[in-house]
Amino acid sequence: MRFYILPLAALAIPLVANPYTQFMVNLMLVYVLVAVGFNLVLGNLGQLAFANTALFGIGAYSAAMLMAHAGWPFWLVIVPAGLAGAAAGFLASVTALRGIRVYYLAIVTLAFGELLRWSYIHGERATGGTDGLAVPNSHFFGIALDSETARFYVFLLIVTVLVKAVSNLLQSKIGRAIVAIRDNELATASLAIPTGRYIVLAFTLSGFVVGIAGSLFAVLIGRVIPESFGLIELILHFAMVLVGGLGSLLGSVLGAVALTALPEFFRRFPGLYEMFFGGLLIVFLLVQPRGLSALAARWWQPLRDRYYREH
Amino acid sequence: MNYFLGMLACAFAVSAAAEDGVTAGSIKIGVMGPFTGNASSYSKAQIGLDAYYKWVNDQGGVNGRKIETVLEDYACDSAKGVAAVKKLIHQDKVFMLHGNSCSAVAMAIKPIVVEAGIPWVVAHAANGNISSPPVKNIFHGVPVGKTMGIAMGQFVASKPGLTKVAVISHTDDWAKSYCGPANEYLASKNIKPVVQEAFERGQTDSTAQTLKIKQANPDFVIACLYEAETAIFLKDAKKYGLNVPVMGTAGTDLENTLKRVGDLNTVANYYVPHMYADNLDGPRLKKFGDILKKYYPNESVTAFSLIAMGSAMAVVEALKRTGREPTRDKLITELDRTKDFDTGVLAGHISWSPSDRDGVKDVAVAGFVKGKPTVLKAWGKPL
Amino acid sequence: MFALQLALSGLAQGAIYALVALSMCVVYRATTVVNFGHGDLVMAGAFVVYVLVVLAGLPFLASAVLAVALLFLLGVLIEIGLIERIKAGPHIGFALMCIGFGYVLRGIARGVWGREVLPMPTVFDFPPVIAGDLVVTADALIIFAAVGVLLALFFVLFYRSSAGRVMQAVCQSERGAALVGINVRAFHGVMWGAGAALGAVGGVLIAPLTLLHPGLGASFLIKGFAAMTLGGFGSLGGAVAGGLLLGLAEQWVGGYVSTKLIDVTAYLVIILVLALRPNGLFGRAVAERV
Repeated sequence: MRFYILPLAALAIPLVANPYTQFMVNLMLVYVLVAVGFNLVLGNLGQLAFANTALFGIGAYSAAMLMAHAGWPFWLVIVPAGLAGAAAGFLASVTALRGIRVYYLAIVTLAFGELLRWSYIHGERATGGTDGLAVPNSHFFGIALDSETARFYVFLLIVTVLVKAVSNLLQSKIGRAIVAIRDNELATASLAIPTGRYIVLAFTLSGFVVGIAGSLFAVLIGRVIPESFGLIELILHFAMVLVGGLGSLLGSVLGAVALTALPEFFRRFPGLYEMFFGGLLIVFLLVQPRGLSALAARWWQPLRDRYYREH
Repeated sequence: MNYFLGMLACAFAVSAAAEDGVTAGSIKIGVMGPFTGNASSYSKAQIGLDAYYKWVNDQGGVNGRKIETVLEDYACDSAKGVAAVKKLIHQDKVFMLHGNSCSAVAMAIKPIVVEAGIPWVVAHAANGNISSPPVKNIFHGVPVGKTMGIAMGQFVASKPGLTKVAVISHTDDWAKSYCGPANEYLASKNIKPVVQEAFERGQTDSTAQTLKIKQANPDFVIACLYEAETAIFLKDAKKYGLNVPVMGTAGTDLENTLKRVGDLNTVANYYVPHMYADNLDGPRLKKFGDILKKYYPNESVTAFSLIAMGSAMAVVEALKRTGREPTRDKLITELDRTKDFDTGVLAGHISWSPSDRDGVKDVAVAGFVKGKPTVLKAWGKPL
Repeated sequence: MFALQLALSGLAQGAIYALVALSMCVVYRATTVVNFGHGDLVMAGAFVVYVLVVLAGLPFLASAVLAVALLFLLGVLIEIGLIERIKAGPHIGFALMCIGFGYVLRGIARGVWGREVLPMPTVFDFPPVIAGDLVVTADALIIFAAVGVLLALFFVLFYRSSAGRVMQAVCQSERGAALVGINVRAFHGVMWGAGAALGAVGGVLIAPLTLLHPGLGASFLIKGFAAMTLGGFGSLGGAVAGGLLLGLAEQWVGGYVSTKLIDVTAYLVIILVLALRPNGLFGRAVAERV
């Protein structure tokens, strides 16, 4: 029940936000979902897989294409976007299953993402090419998604439901198996736990969640362009999970909020964003590598997350 | 009670009448540009813009008000672009928007700008779809891709005996905004490219592309390439003996391309659409180069630097005409009264009307004649 | 002759990829860290040369040597100051750290040069050599010469000298090496320095060919990965072979299939290698200790 405190408190945000700050909050919601999904594979499963932008992009493009070309309303495209992401995640897991060594997996999934991006660029009419696809105004079961406030409530609902689902998953037998695989795959296998199946499951679920996040992103920005799903985006996702705390659900939330808000503070200094971002990452890694969630747990013991990466 | 309500009503009326972004002493203009990221060299346009507004302030401002520019970086990323424009409109509450170099992001923020009704003068992005079909509050202050593509195509077609054309270009929307219309124009003259080669940004060698083009034996090559890649292609063309004229885009200029390739022979056959009233280092543009240097002394002048100054001039003129109480509607009306405005920096004159917001329709072409950059009317015909 | 000319360009490009891949491999072998910021070290090398040649007025050769030396120092500093410090954290943290300092380097370049796209003044003004239909530029010759000499020196050093034996010892077993008195920490620093220096040479060689801008390094990072993957992760010779082959592949794909594919050749190579021969050309299947 403690879980719902944050979402319930968040309901008050539209009362104090202007469209810009509301947009930023909506963006944070999208990235919370992205980080939660990525953390499943990166933190809980412990695999360095860089497929996240591929999953994000495929979800966004699926949603955009269905809405723009087939005229489907938003509520109908959410699940297909998730399924597209899940399919991509499944493909990525096949790679992981081959026992590919750490960095190999990272590079292959990175390549996968870039190839997908190439296909968006050269997809011409289907994907809009480099100009991208405009996402038409849509509705969620009758609620028109034409204002930041409306989007906020819809996004909050979707994100809360999905994050709760992931939370339940992590506390279930499946979640424990996934973390066990991270800690020692061979030992886990020796306990007659089908590690292969759980690896595939983790990747696929991660893809599902991140794919849905992609559909939210498409509606939020109003346009999907290939540039949005490249390496720079991947680094952002990566940073969110790491800064938040590997394997920690709360960490994903904190990391997403922090790293979405951060660039906005650097607007004061156009041109220096890269240096600040890099510097921040370095300082963070030196000072608090276990992430913001570790910091939070230090202040308030009940926030401690069992599925951290303990190092 | 009535007195109180009256005061409330007055307060309401006053606050409703005061336009966003206008105070007693200043007018806030939101300037979006890609100051970081891969496209950061585009942001030279916004720098030039800012320098010009600062100069206007030093000359006394507009009707007693100084122009306060709010610069926002969006690194050519759509999420950052949407965040930036919403911040400018709803948080900084600027009076108008003037900027944008990246067409894809401009298209992404267009619905937001349309809904907010805030005047937006597009300072650099070339996609014609941003300003047409015309909407109430969007103005295009530079020649759009179609205009430039047609100018490129016309020049190419004016070469006597031209039958075959080859195209080498990036596959991004920037390149397409030039090569697309150019190809369309040539197609209307029944000239189709014999080969179309892709040369992506970041690549450092164009051997494959150059050789394939050479094999096709064209009379002209259209190169929709960015600065670095243009230099590489021209060098490779010389290296492999591809000695045909090359038509570039407004993303490069002759003087800087010469500097980049290092010798005249390599660029002797290079032509570019020319948006300016003179060569970049010519006497008529000196004043503008000086303005840039005054406020940004370390900034070098390239094809992008002065491009937005033209629209800035038109904006200032329109603002002056709105008088002491500028409102967004008044500004829009005055901008639409801009007819045949000679900015002194752009080759074409700016004209806007409610049914046509494509402000600049004239683009010339420039090439090297006897070693000097020269503006040309058509092949072999200097102005 | 078409194929041959393509091959020549491919090898010239490939030589640079080989250098970048080798430098990444050196770092990986020595400290098991894959440097995700390596592209930016290459860029830094190019920019330092630019500063020395254009702003300080030094002759090219002196600038090149100085740039390589400075980058060596930078590599050592990064290793001692940043990488060593986070050894206790999650392994994934290394990747982010490398990305972090890559961003800082890029930010510095952008802070100084902002929006400029800078030309390197032409260094070697010799006319190209023409053999029949084949054109060989001075730039290509210099790249071959420089890379060839460097690689030869490197492998001789690694396999023949006593310093090289130290390197091999540490690569095989850090604990064992420490037990026989080798200063493993110093070794790590030196190897990062060497990796950075080699990357800088790549930057120095590429600078006259292209215009300099802060984002220069991005494509080299990916090519380095692809080359390492193709050659077999962890194999030094493999990295070199992988680089050369990648350069060739790009040109041939561009020449015979479509120039649109040149940009993604590296990614296709990665996926193909994984599908067909996961250990790359020269990698050895590593038995995992349970």
